[in-house]
Amino acid sequence: MTMTSASVSPASSSRLQLPRIHPRLRLPLILVAVVLVAPFAVPPLLGIDPNAMSVMERFAGPSLNHPLGLDEFGRDRLARVLIGAQASLRVAVISALISCTIGSLIGLFGAYFRGFAGFLSTKTADVVLCFPPILLALLVVTLMGPGTKTLIWVLSIIYFPAFARIVYLEASRVSQLDYVIAAEALGARPRRVMFRTILPNISGPIIVQFSLTTAAAIITESGLSYLGLGVVPPDPSWGQMIRGARAYMEQDPLGIVIPCVAISLTIYGVNLLTDRLRDVLDPKGLSGGIPILSPRRRKTPAATVPATLEADTVLRIDNLDVTTNRNGVAIKLIEDVNLRVRRGRCTALVGESGSGKSLTASSVMGLLPRGVTVTSGDIMLRGQHGQAIQVTTLSGEGLEAIRGRDAAMIFQEPMTALNPVYKVGDQLIEAAKVHRPVSANQARDEGIAFLKRVGVNDPERRFDSFPHMLSGGLRQRVMIAMALSMEPGLLLADEPTTALDVTVQAEIIDLLIALKASAGAPGILFISHDLGVVAQLADEIAVMYAGRVVEQGPAATVLGNARHPYTRALLQSMPAAHEELHASRSDTLPSIGGTPPLPHERPAGCAFRDRCPHAVPVCADERPDLTAVDGPAHLAACHLATGRAA
Amino acid sequence: MIEQHNLLEVEKLSLGFGGSNGLFRTKPAMVLRDVNFTIGQGEIVGLVGESGSGKSTIGKAVLKLLKAQEGRVRFDGMDISDLSERQMRPLRREMQIIFQDPYSSLDPRQTVRNILSDALDIHHLHMGSSREARLVELLDMVGLRREFLDRYPHEFSGGQRQRIGIARAMSVEPRLIVADEAVSALDVSIQAQVINLIARLREQTGVSVLFISHDLSVVRFISDRIIVLYLGKIMEVGPADLVHHAPLHPYSKALVSAEPRLDQKSSRIRLRGDIPSPLRPPSGCVFRTRCPFALPACAERVPELREVAPGRSKACIRDDIDMETAS
Repeated sequence: MTMTSASVSPASSSRLQLPRIHPRLRLPLILVAVVLVAPFAVPPLLGIDPNAMSVMERFAGPSLNHPLGLDEFGRDRLARVLIGAQASLRVAVISALISCTIGSLIGLFGAYFRGFAGFLSTKTADVVLCFPPILLALLVVTLMGPGTKTLIWVLSIIYFPAFARIVYLEASRVSQLDYVIAAEALGARPRRVMFRTILPNISGPIIVQFSLTTAAAIITESGLSYLGLGVVPPDPSWGQMIRGARAYMEQDPLGIVIPCVAISLTIYGVNLLTDRLRDVLDPKGLSGGIPILSPRRRKTPAATVPATLEADTVLRIDNLDVTTNRNGVAIKLIEDVNLRVRRGRCTALVGESGSGKSLTASSVMGLLPRGVTVTSGDIMLRGQHGQAIQVTTLSGEGLEAIRGRDAAMIFQEPMTALNPVYKVGDQLIEAAKVHRPVSANQARDEGIAFLKRVGVNDPERRFDSFPHMLSGGLRQRVMIAMALSMEPGLLLADEPTTALDVTVQAEIIDLLIALKASAGAPGILFISHDLGVVAQLADEIAVMYAGRVVEQGPAATVLGNARHPYTRALLQSMPAAHEELHASRSDTLPSIGGTPPLPHERPAGCAFRDRCPHAVPVCADERPDLTAVDGPAHLAACHLATGRAA
Repeated sequence: MIEQHNLLEVEKLSLGFGGSNGLFRTKPAMVLRDVNFTIGQGEIVGLVGESGSGKSTIGKAVLKLLKAQEGRVRFDGMDISDLSERQMRPLRREMQIIFQDPYSSLDPRQTVRNILSDALDIHHLHMGSSREARLVELLDMVGLRREFLDRYPHEFSGGQRQRIGIARAMSVEPRLIVADEAVSALDVSIQAQVINLIARLREQTGVSVLFISHDLSVVRFISDRIIVLYLGKIMEVGPADLVHHAPLHPYSKALVSAEPRLDQKSSRIRLRGDIPSPLRPPSGCVFRTRCPFALPACAERVPELREVAPGRSKACIRDDIDMETAS
């Protein structure tokens, strides 16, 4: 999973007895090492006094003795840029360290203890932020006199508030998380919670801020020295060099380019190092990631597949394959899925997380995540005017046009799908206005009518409410009203009741059942993990496991006479199915052992066989196809069900 | 189970949030009002209710992770209501928590070994050579392999993570575990495994469990007794099977009848509207605004939680409701 140092070729580590360095850290480490070591190591070798003037040779170009030439006083530029680096880097790194330590401590204490400590921590930072940095710097310099030490103090004061604020915000967020509460529940002392649990988890932003601060400090040092407030001439610093060279910029552009390049290189090195350090320190980092090249979609020639759809059908999916790419290997997430949704009926797609049920829905809407593509198969959708639309051949604009109009979707968490800053009514009629011109009053009346249709009490008042004023159940009703407002042929419902309380869930199911029976009802593709919910709503059921449909058929048959061991196990593991059992009598609930295989680890043969209590050798050798069992409408992909393994 | 004395006794617990907007004192939103219950040694007590009923708040208040405004919490006969965090620390070992979200409950930067070792370190348990054996034993207890010790949380599935969370809670040999929606985020096929695990741990170690869940069928299976909570008040308490099969309170009945079931639903009590805001609770019985059986008298006084049969209590003034005919 994670790309760690272990993935470095073993040969290199056996040759060199160096500590293993993560490959991604090598380049920035070398860069930073050069920038840090060269200023201290090279000048003694050169043996040139950076302050020795040779006025006769001012502005002399590069030569063997002076590789970077001489400046406006005839001083050696190489020596000055290197010695100058000593001052600039010392100031920048030390002040970044000081501000980071002080700021982080203030933020961390404030966020953890809250109350007065929190007040003190944020307000201290705010007060310092109120001062313009240059004014602050001038003040300190006036009090302490110019010099390196003063600069370090000035920069530390200027930069600690940023650390305090970032750490305060991040630590406040992390300290609400369950693992921090778990540490407290275990009786961990505040110091342990702060430094062992919270701090490592907010190290990313701190590291990034450190790099930004170092870079900013170099520039501010240059600026202050340029104003004559920092390093005192004739001692060199990068700021002093820029200051000196500026006056002769037109005669001698090299003079200003040299310190600027030095500054840029340093900042780049530090940024690169901290960025990569953040990734490497994160145990999750570097895993996954979106491939730059995704598998190319096989364009289905429209001519070979006739664009027809049975009269009562609003959605038909044929032989759908959805694929992603992992380290150059194509991995099928969904394989050979066939589905059909009829007008005014509900087809339920049942499965656990990772089974591919949501990806199937996303394929219909053309909303697959980046790097995931439909590689074969067809999706046919009934358009608003009765025409058949081949979704798989559409791209960009074509897909946008069908979303909401021909196929609408409702989600698990309606709050995230509603914009919190607009009134629900305005959002409701927004969709209608996009697709056809209506007057404001007419749109309002229609919107209210739709709210009424989905059972919202007092629709006039609700029309003018903001989403946060509504309960979860009402929000879901509004979402359903929005989805229905364009009178789509297909309603895709992705776990729409999972986040709701049972009492509210029951109401929404009632609403959907009533909707099916209403005139002009859409076909519903209902995605759920809950067989109890599905039992009440679905006319047909398809059970998915590991990217494939393993059982499919009329709802009553699939639930009442399940033939695939997985479907049966799912039904059996519902506690509601075992009212005679109780834990206090040492009963155990029937459960499926193990966990579903990840897409790249799916075994050959039947993907369920490792967890199947009835598996026989043929299950490992041959993958069972969906085959008719007791009647043509009921399909199961199991050797046992079809008699192959009898 | 030998009933000596109750492990946990909660008396008149009230807890509110807010109460100040930074400058001024405001009226706090009362999340719990006058909650009384007990948990026996080795008992599993289920706590059910809709979101906003205060289930999780009770769990955290019992562990003193939240501070109650009023009321007493006694653990093993000892009043812990007024203990400071420092005084609580040795007691933390006795009471643990399992969370709902298996993704946010484990520190992503620590290996399983560190997560479990931390818990042991804090209480100076198995500091020497027995540490490794203890870690393996803990993993074994929750059905995980020892190779998992040096992996990070993100390398596990939701069910496996939940097992790690349970191992962490069990590592300090607690006597009480608060399981806060511990199986709600898991897939159906995994859920049953974890429920069985919790039931088995109770049997093996005698740990008491406060099992908080919105799923009545799960709670019915695992709990000895069920507490039904609505808007911070207890509506009904009784043996699990009885509360589930023959609820006494209209709200319990509504919850039971709303459960999605494979067999077609029996008569269902339909509730009106949504759970009211805890800032403006209804007068009298808090459930009356949604109760199909509410009488004018329900608005006048708060119904007491009273014992109506041995071991069964309800907070409802009506005794004349026929639940079976109601729909």
